[in-house]
Amino acid sequence: MMRQAKPAVARRPLNYQEVWGRVGIYAFLGVVALFFLLPLYVMLVTSFKSMDEIRLGLIFSLPRQFTIDAWVKAWTSACTGLECTGLRVGFGNSVKILVPSVVVSILLGAVNGYALSFWKVKGANVLFACLLLGSFIPYQVFIYPLVRVYAQTGIYGSLAGIVLTHVIFGMPVMTLLFRNYYSGLPIELFKAARIDGAGFWKIFVSIILPMSAPIAIVAVIMQVTAIWNDFLLGLVFAGRENLPMTVQLNNIVNTTTGERAYNVNMAATVLTSLVPLAVYLLSGRWFVRGIASGAVKG
Amino acid sequence: MTAMKQMVAVSAIALAAATGIARAEEPLNAEVIHWWTSGGESAAIAVFADAFNAAGGKWVDNAVAGGSAARSAAINRIIGGDPSTAALFNTSRQYHEIIGEGLLNDIDAVASKNDWDKVLPEPIARAVKVDGKYYAAPVNIHMPLWIWYSTAALNKAGIDKPPETMEQFLADLDKLKAAGVIPLALGGQRWQENSLFSAVLTNVGGAALWKSVYGDKDEAAIRSPEFRKVIETFVSLKPYVDQASPGRNWNDATALLIKDEAGFQVMGDWAKGEFKQANKEIGKDYGCIPGLRPDSPYVLGGDVFVFPKTDNAEQVKAQHLLVEIMTDPAVQVKFNNLKGSIPIRSDVDVSSLDACAQLGMKIMSDPARQVPDASQMMEEYVYGSVQDIVTELWNTPMTVDQAVDRFEKALKG
Amino acid sequence: MGAEFTRHVKRNLVAYIALLPMAAVVIFAYLGTMAWSVRLSFSSSKLLPRSDFVGLNQYVTLFDTSRWLTSLGNLAVIAFFFLLICFVLGCLLAIFIDQNVRGESLFRTVFLYPYAMSFVVAGLIWQWILNPDLGIQATMRGFGFSGFVLDWVVNPRMVLYAVILATVWHGSGLVMALILAGLRGIDGEIWRATRIDGIPAWRVYLSIVLPMLRPMIITSLVLLSISIVKMYDVVVAMTNGGPGTASEVPAKFIMDNLFERANIGLATAASTVMLITVLMVMAPVIYSQYFRKSGRAA
Repeated sequence: MMRQAKPAVARRPLNYQEVWGRVGIYAFLGVVALFFLLPLYVMLVTSFKSMDEIRLGLIFSLPRQFTIDAWVKAWTSACTGLECTGLRVGFGNSVKILVPSVVVSILLGAVNGYALSFWKVKGANVLFACLLLGSFIPYQVFIYPLVRVYAQTGIYGSLAGIVLTHVIFGMPVMTLLFRNYYSGLPIELFKAARIDGAGFWKIFVSIILPMSAPIAIVAVIMQVTAIWNDFLLGLVFAGRENLPMTVQLNNIVNTTTGERAYNVNMAATVLTSLVPLAVYLLSGRWFVRGIASGAVKG
Repeated sequence: MTAMKQMVAVSAIALAAATGIARAEEPLNAEVIHWWTSGGESAAIAVFADAFNAAGGKWVDNAVAGGSAARSAAINRIIGGDPSTAALFNTSRQYHEIIGEGLLNDIDAVASKNDWDKVLPEPIARAVKVDGKYYAAPVNIHMPLWIWYSTAALNKAGIDKPPETMEQFLADLDKLKAAGVIPLALGGQRWQENSLFSAVLTNVGGAALWKSVYGDKDEAAIRSPEFRKVIETFVSLKPYVDQASPGRNWNDATALLIKDEAGFQVMGDWAKGEFKQANKEIGKDYGCIPGLRPDSPYVLGGDVFVFPKTDNAEQVKAQHLLVEIMTDPAVQVKFNNLKGSIPIRSDVDVSSLDACAQLGMKIMSDPARQVPDASQMMEEYVYGSVQDIVTELWNTPMTVDQAVDRFEKALKG
Repeated sequence: MGAEFTRHVKRNLVAYIALLPMAAVVIFAYLGTMAWSVRLSFSSSKLLPRSDFVGLNQYVTLFDTSRWLTSLGNLAVIAFFFLLICFVLGCLLAIFIDQNVRGESLFRTVFLYPYAMSFVVAGLIWQWILNPDLGIQATMRGFGFSGFVLDWVVNPRMVLYAVILATVWHGSGLVMALILAGLRGIDGEIWRATRIDGIPAWRVYLSIVLPMLRPMIITSLVLLSISIVKMYDVVVAMTNGGPGTASEVPAKFIMDNLFERANIGLATAASTVMLITVLMVMAPVIYSQYFRKSGRAA
């Protein structure tokens, strides 16, 4: 059902012009890749250096003495106030917040996008426009009223509270993402299913969802990143028991007394980014070609 | 780090033994929100935690790096009806509005028992006492405007003794520049530029101008030749700062002194921690200058704990125990030694304090030289505008007239 | 009208029900908060909200505040370059990656990984690389190029471009992912057809493919715009608005006044101004996208 090859560049001998074209493409991608990798390189080499070496101020040089002390410290013993337990404590909390928030917000976004682009619902577009507009307000403005409402409903400082918050703030972008992707899909599919008598949910589950892989992976990337990296909302809404990893990262990185432990900071930063990075790496196989056309023809 | 921890643990045990209080069956829980996350700060707050635990409580630590993040977390918890037992604020007006809304418990019971009216310096008492009641427990006094110097850097420029007047200071800056040393180590961040300005204001204008401009917001004082002189002097310091100054953290600026690459830095007494950590010796490797005039004012900044409203009798008990412990003379000395500040009360044994802190205590014993920090004399937003002017004055071309106009507008606003 | 509307609702009833969560979020979380925040902008609120009425005082103060005006100007510069570079770079990367290049998944991950880092990390690491005492300038001088100058983060005239550099590094990967998702949704037949007609590839992209990707392009532009308006963390981490006020941005102005300066009235006035600005810029886009045609259903 899915086709991997792109017809236009089917395997055949390339002519002179095409060869140079290929070289140009790789050269461009390569140069940009180097620019993109520079900060990661600096982070990694720094995290494997000792503080003595960092003091030399050569941030681009490779570590002379390779050490993983900084990583061990960041994970197990870096301090947050009086608690010196490293990042590992917050890791579990972040996962606990991440999973339900991502699942719920993406499902809601997909349903919204589907209803908006395939169904006639009066006033839905006005709602959507308001939602979109709302996403431009710095969310700090929302904090105070939300705290008040949450406190009254008893979900302030709980896992449910932080999940709901992420769902609310993720909704505009998730809805936009799915709505615009679905509006690019061929409408004929939908019409045919309607004629066959399929209802709202049946069409969604059996036709629309299977075609959503490329955009769903973008949605996962965005939500995993946004929720995993969130600091402020977690700090305010999650409650003391559920504080995410980023709060600890902030405590480790944003300390301005004493010599800054760059190696521990870098290791902590990379450690904190591992979950989104892993998601990106695993997402690759979902970026396959020709899903829409495959479904039409297949 | 571990040595520090051991020391604190030992001292806590000693304190517990000294006070002879056994652990209660049901410990009093106290959750404390604060932003003291760095090495020296953690060690300092551990003094409170250990003493509280030794006295039969159970300290629940809630550290959030960054003052404003920690304070807004505390305020949100209060608004959300789930407040912590205590929360850290600066000795300022930050918490006056939540007092006005009736969201804090007063701690008059403890304050009157310990005679705070007598033992607290007047500016500090005024900052924590609202409508005749004490609402916050001050724990330290930070003087934010010390002038630090590197002895080796000064020697390199042929300066054999630290400056005592503004004129000497300016002359020394020139000598340092000629000797190829960074004369003035500055982190080009808003608050540090503001500290530098405040130092110029207190040292050129004296306590009187400080109080009339920032305290009374007196138009005549703002327009006076003295204040114009302050602005001019401040701007004239620009050439003595190095190119990489913008955005630099204060501790990185202090590191320039530690490495003898820079001569002077204007910074609060917390900078001492940096020198100590680098095994530098006070009076030998580095030194502290409280001011550049014989009557230079001692600006009283610092930190306080506030105690959110609760009717839970156990929590109120915990709050009162916290106040008792935090302001206890012995705990005060131990805490402030680690924090780099000086105790809030004059009736303590200062012999174990370092030379700079002892000097500070001595200056502070003269009430005429005690002046409140700027943040105690104006609302936060007014102070914010003042800092905006200072940073623009430092970083962009502005005439003295323009600056004076803008100061007047911000302060009178 | 009435009977027809009833019939319409009946036919699409499930779609109405499916959109209820969105309606609830829009009305209670977004519209409610927006109204609340606009209301507060007419009050004298400081640390806590007050219910008095001071007319337009906060707005007068706002536009008399030079830092706010600087912030607006900076935002315009950032918006222009960030949008342009991020979008063009993202599109180019997506198109080039889509040429059946070897190591596609590697390239994709390299371009996308910065997005996994929080804005704070993006700001910190670029601040470090661009810091004249530590980063590229120091390294080049160490190699003997004593006249080498790269002082963007400490130079008031260049600091905005340092911020743009960091944000482009952070954000172009997302544009790439979105455009790539769109490209993968395009019917492969187009390529076969244009191939036969002998149309050069760049023309196919410009005149056929990009117009077909319109929904994805709109999505990425909206997402980029949201991140521009909300740009805060990266500036705080990188320059904290300095030198002086040279890199101040509106969201930071709002944040500072909301929290550090306890000036809710001024902060909400500023966020209202931002909201109106966004409304004016976005209204034509939103109108043409979402109101001209109401849904697409048969």
